[in-house]
Amino acid sequence: MPEYLVFFLMVAVFAVMAMGCKLPIGISLVISAVAGALLGSQGVPVRHLIEGSFGYFDTILIIVTAMIFMRVLQVSGILDTITSLLLRTFYKRKFSLLMTVMVIIMFPGMITGSSTVAVLSTGTLIAPVLIKLGLPKVKTAALIAMGAILGMIAPPVNILVMIMGGGVDMPYVGLTIPLLIIVIPLAIIISLWLGYKDIRIIDQARMQEILPESLEKKVGLRLYLPLLIVFVLMLTQSLSLPLIPDIGIPAIFLVGSLAGTFSGRRFNFFTATQEALQAAMPILCILAGVGMFIQIMTLTGGRGWIVLSFLSLPQALLYGGIATSMPLFGAVSAYGSASILGVPFILALINKNAIITSSALSAIAGLGDLMPPTALAGIFAAQVVGEKNYFKVLRYCLVPAFFELVMGIGVLLLSPLIEKLL
Amino acid sequence: MKRQQQKLITGGILLIFSLALCFLSGREFRSMLKKDNIYPSSGLTEVQKLSHYFPSLKGSPGDTDVYIFSGEEASGNLLILGGCHPNEPAGFIAAVLAAENIRVQKGKVLIIPQANLSGFTHNDPFEGNPQRFPISTPGGDRWFRYGSRLTNPVHQWPDPALYRNPAGQKLAGTEYRNLNRNFPGRKNGGLTEKIAFGIMELIRLEKIDIAIDLHEAAPEYPVINAIVFHENSAELAAIALMELQMEGIEIRLEESPKNLRGLSHREWGDLGGIEAFLLETANASHGRFKGKPSIALILEGKDNNYVKAGRLGRLFVPFDENGIPLEERAARHIAAVKALIASHNELHSESLILFSGLPDISALKKEGIGAFLKPPK
Repeated sequence: MPEYLVFFLMVAVFAVMAMGCKLPIGISLVISAVAGALLGSQGVPVRHLIEGSFGYFDTILIIVTAMIFMRVLQVSGILDTITSLLLRTFYKRKFSLLMTVMVIIMFPGMITGSSTVAVLSTGTLIAPVLIKLGLPKVKTAALIAMGAILGMIAPPVNILVMIMGGGVDMPYVGLTIPLLIIVIPLAIIISLWLGYKDIRIIDQARMQEILPESLEKKVGLRLYLPLLIVFVLMLTQSLSLPLIPDIGIPAIFLVGSLAGTFSGRRFNFFTATQEALQAAMPILCILAGVGMFIQIMTLTGGRGWIVLSFLSLPQALLYGGIATSMPLFGAVSAYGSASILGVPFILALINKNAIITSSALSAIAGLGDLMPPTALAGIFAAQVVGEKNYFKVLRYCLVPAFFELVMGIGVLLLSPLIEKLL
Repeated sequence: MKRQQQKLITGGILLIFSLALCFLSGREFRSMLKKDNIYPSSGLTEVQKLSHYFPSLKGSPGDTDVYIFSGEEASGNLLILGGCHPNEPAGFIAAVLAAENIRVQKGKVLIIPQANLSGFTHNDPFEGNPQRFPISTPGGDRWFRYGSRLTNPVHQWPDPALYRNPAGQKLAGTEYRNLNRNFPGRKNGGLTEKIAFGIMELIRLEKIDIAIDLHEAAPEYPVINAIVFHENSAELAAIALMELQMEGIEIRLEESPKNLRGLSHREWGDLGGIEAFLLETANASHGRFKGKPSIALILEGKDNNYVKAGRLGRLFVPFDENGIPLEERAARHIAAVKALIASHNELHSESLILFSGLPDISALKKEGIGAFLKPPK
């Protein structure tokens, strides 16, 4: 059976299982992967299925530990205190609120290169503030997701560019200005687009009414210890300081979570962990399923067929191919999109400046973190605001995502001019 | 109560199913720990472990074999490195071919066929590659592992989000496990950094004059069918290029980029002060356009996707229906090694390296790799 037919049948099996039989997305992906292997004459390749499911092992650990951290912030009262602090500072300053919020959301992404980390750390802190000031929760989730993606693209750490650079032997130098050219206008436009209309200016009395309980006076600065630990450890990791061991993001979240046990309100850490795991389980299942799906897609030749199909587009349509394929391939993950498609696209545009090209492609690939079923930035942003239907959030992400896409393609097209200006 | 019981039964069934999956897949994953057999030529002087040069590696999954072939007379010293990236089989197999056939008359040749031994013990997720591939010898099939570009995460974990390598270059976190981004290594670093450090120590202690790192690249990668040279060896590389072209082998010269740090050819040349080279051939089985991954793809190098990509002008190497078989790729490496050493000898009469036994490119292409490998024992 031709590889493209196997791929389309895998997608069809997935659609029938997920939509027709209403099975969980993760299980539907596993069934479609097994079906693909059978259709591609590979039998039931247990090793490949398990190998694929482990492709997201590190991501899964980050998600589990970040979810625990998020839960600890909630139950210990830290989250309410931060919300209270931000509300008292910004309740009558709409523009500066939105700009500050955007920077805060972006920051963890900027130093770790991961949108998931941004959503599940500072996104969690920001969400209640925006909702209390009148931003609908789906728009809040959209703002958090887009901010996290912009943080992932912004300097100093852009893993997407590093992945693409690794494929073409391009060192990670000279990227700060091209990345800032892309990110700064987008951060301003997107935060205003999503927030300016709905955020309300309120008076002090109203602010006092909606103010959640703050533990700051009762506990003092010790309350902020978990956040401080996570912030410092992430920063030292990104700076690669010689004497401080690099313990990895999951361990950073765990250390922060443990610090939370004696920072604010008393709570049962074991129960908080259980609750966090329960909340994370559906997306973990999806990630394992996507891993199996991708492995079988590669094993049956589908991945090569897809990549080549987009690369076969004539030069005039190549930009259209980039604009569609890279975000769509983000269903695997933005990193996967950067590696599998980003590298060939840089080579296809080899007559342009590779630094500017990779910066622009990273902005486009980053949108993959909105693409279901993985949609790492989007789904977690929905979860942070308590919205079960991710598609409602995605609806509000479409215009900002379009801005980002236009910016990415624009920078690609104008790369000779930008190169001269730089 | 009944619902509780149902949940327990479902949970129990799922647990047993998961354990069965772990057992079945675990057996396959563990099979990658079985070492490849390499039977060195009778010219072998001694086999050392890399830990001989850097004891901290002793007993670790990175403690690879170093085959040492000494001539009757001391002179120049050559290091041949294969398996730096275990998913680039021509580099590994060319080093095995060298180890199983070489006879050294003057100087010393050190061969490390599996530089990143840990990388041979697993495969890259999402790539769907076979675990091993056979090479037919007159005495039966020899099987070799097809590993991963990176150190096994079981041996070195976790990856940082951002990796600043020992040469100061910032890289994606996974490159922490890529041996050819870890030079010159770190004495107290991760396993991969320690392996790199061990190789630097070997270069220092064995007084290596010239070192050659054997690799492969996807056909869509610009540095392909190429000799990458450190700028201290430009003349030597140019002479070798002419020699290869006279033999009808089309090959390019690429100067090692000065700002791309952590790679063998850069750090060996800069810090080791030796003549440093990296060779690349075209391997369809680890490219992004590849069709179904298979043993045939590794051995024959035929792939319709690549034929199409070639027609579209997306490749940096000619690619037709005949593919680029492993014989040809390994033969290119062997020919380039011979040409580089001939050029070294031409330029440095004080450190001559004389050896024989390595097969000719025409013989390799005609008779196949198996004809030059020892039969399985």
